[in-house]
Amino acid sequence: MGTHLIKRVTFDGINFGFLFLVFLLGIFTPNEEELLNLSKNSLVALGCVVLGVVFSLIINKMGIKTLGELLFAPPHKKTVTSTPVIWYRTFWGIQTAGTVLLMSVLGYFVTEVNVREVLDIENIKNVLRLIEQLATPNWEVLPDVVWKAIQSVFIAFMATLIAVPIAFLLSFVSAKNIMGTTPVGFVIYMMARTLFNIMRSIEPIMWAIIFAIWVRFGPFAGMLALLVHSIASLSKQYSEIVECVDEGPIEGIESTGAGFLQTIWFAVVPQIVLPYISFTIYRWDINVRMATIIGFVGGGGVGELLLLYQRQSLWNEVGVVILVIAIIVWLMDNFSAYVREAIK
Amino acid sequence: MAGEDYILKVKDLEKTYPNGVKALKGVSFDVKRGEFLVIIGLSGSGKSTLLRCLNRLHDPTAGEVLFNEKDIAHVKGQEVKEVRQRMAMIFQHFNLIERHSVIKNVLTGALSRTSTLKSLMGMFAKTETKKAKEYLDLVGIGDKAYTRADQLSGGQQQRVAIARALTQAPEVLLADEPVASLDPATCHTVMDYLRKVNRELGLTIICNLHFLSLVKEYADRVIALKDGKLVYEGDPKEIDEAWFERIYGEGAKEVHVN
Repeated sequence: MGTHLIKRVTFDGINFGFLFLVFLLGIFTPNEEELLNLSKNSLVALGCVVLGVVFSLIINKMGIKTLGELLFAPPHKKTVTSTPVIWYRTFWGIQTAGTVLLMSVLGYFVTEVNVREVLDIENIKNVLRLIEQLATPNWEVLPDVVWKAIQSVFIAFMATLIAVPIAFLLSFVSAKNIMGTTPVGFVIYMMARTLFNIMRSIEPIMWAIIFAIWVRFGPFAGMLALLVHSIASLSKQYSEIVECVDEGPIEGIESTGAGFLQTIWFAVVPQIVLPYISFTIYRWDINVRMATIIGFVGGGGVGELLLLYQRQSLWNEVGVVILVIAIIVWLMDNFSAYVREAIK
Repeated sequence: MAGEDYILKVKDLEKTYPNGVKALKGVSFDVKRGEFLVIIGLSGSGKSTLLRCLNRLHDPTAGEVLFNEKDIAHVKGQEVKEVRQRMAMIFQHFNLIERHSVIKNVLTGALSRTSTLKSLMGMFAKTETKKAKEYLDLVGIGDKAYTRADQLSGGQQQRVAIARALTQAPEVLLADEPVASLDPATCHTVMDYLRKVNRELGLTIICNLHFLSLVKEYADRVIALKDGKLVYEGDPKEIDEAWFERIYGEGAKEVHVN
């Protein structure tokens, strides 16, 4: 009961708070200076959310079902259905439609949508000229581009290769069924999970900025950036595989008097090898994609050339880079899908 | 009963799970060396928990388990592994490593005698492999040694599990519903092999069973559990209709397996 109420009130509070805020925006039409007053505006926003929470409580008390209630009501309440009502006759239906509509209108202004720019004849002429140049590649730079593209593939490969054994060990530390049995283990499990989530929420391109300063610009920085991201991602994916293993063989091996490491090696590892390989190849595939653009921030690979040519508006050269990247990504995509299909 | 040789003496064994379920509420019984003891009772009566408390896959909450006169109910660490090695176990779902060959599965019975490093590299002593093959022959599947375990039928997999258990060189063999996921014909093959190791190797067997017809055929002695308590102990032939209803509840009918 408790968690469902908190979830519902949080959801509705933010939803209604947003609606109230937009409403206030419409009434007071603040100027640019007022819009940038962050501390004051945050207070107003918070006030709106609190108001939204109160509103959600009152409305649901009156027996009207809000969207939050619809989403988070516990199962035993959900099954009680009266005669079906068309969505636009319900409060939650209006609530959803209203929110989406308001978001669209706001989004139109915030993203500065301008259809006239798209249809402007001069602009279209410009872009056609660009496409024409891209489509007539300057093949003289092809050897450079191919070399750098190969560098990208190897940046991705090395990052994946080094990440695998590290993630392999960490995946057991961050698997609930292995660590969750003792209080100390559970604490380690929680810490590992949190660390991986933080590491993953920082994009490789940010890591590349850090490593480009640390070990200087170049492919090594890019490799380290992808390595950090790969360790976090693979650990998470591996540990989810470990959490899905069949407990039977574990009990079987334990019953022979085997030790902890023996049990993991004989009962868990055989069950996870193939999924691990599958995820690893997929990670390499993803890393190749990232390695092609990581050069933008000094991480080496073909991205360096893309940045170089684009800065100088050498569109015929950019055309070569785009083509080579497309081919490599396409090849890796197919290769990884092909191998993963085979070992399923 | 003076002079009887008891391998196990269980006294007031209790098990309460962390979620509060009381699976065993003070169970006491003795097991004679070399006997074929069968435990019967409904699903959830505590049979599986009882076996797992004996070989310490689970930790009993209270009570004693005297194994060769030594209380092993609350031992820790290395001693737990030793208890497990000396009381081998087979399971309803066999619990083999499906992707590994039969021989590799059987060899895992030798893990407790093999150093961690050696076992991780798959280096088992030559004598262990020879023993493992002998036990495979004993359960009649010596020719399947290099087949992958998941390629075998259920009955064959359970025989691999018996061979693995024998490789542990145990004194007791615990069998948790060993035939519950097998078809009736295969049931008897597996039970016959259990009887064989009981009689030929002198292994003490404690076996959970569902079917009363199997109990009457194979058990030397039977105990019955109901709601975590011992409700019957004695000769399987003396279980009559009245007893049957007390163990399995009113209106229960016996199913015959042929």
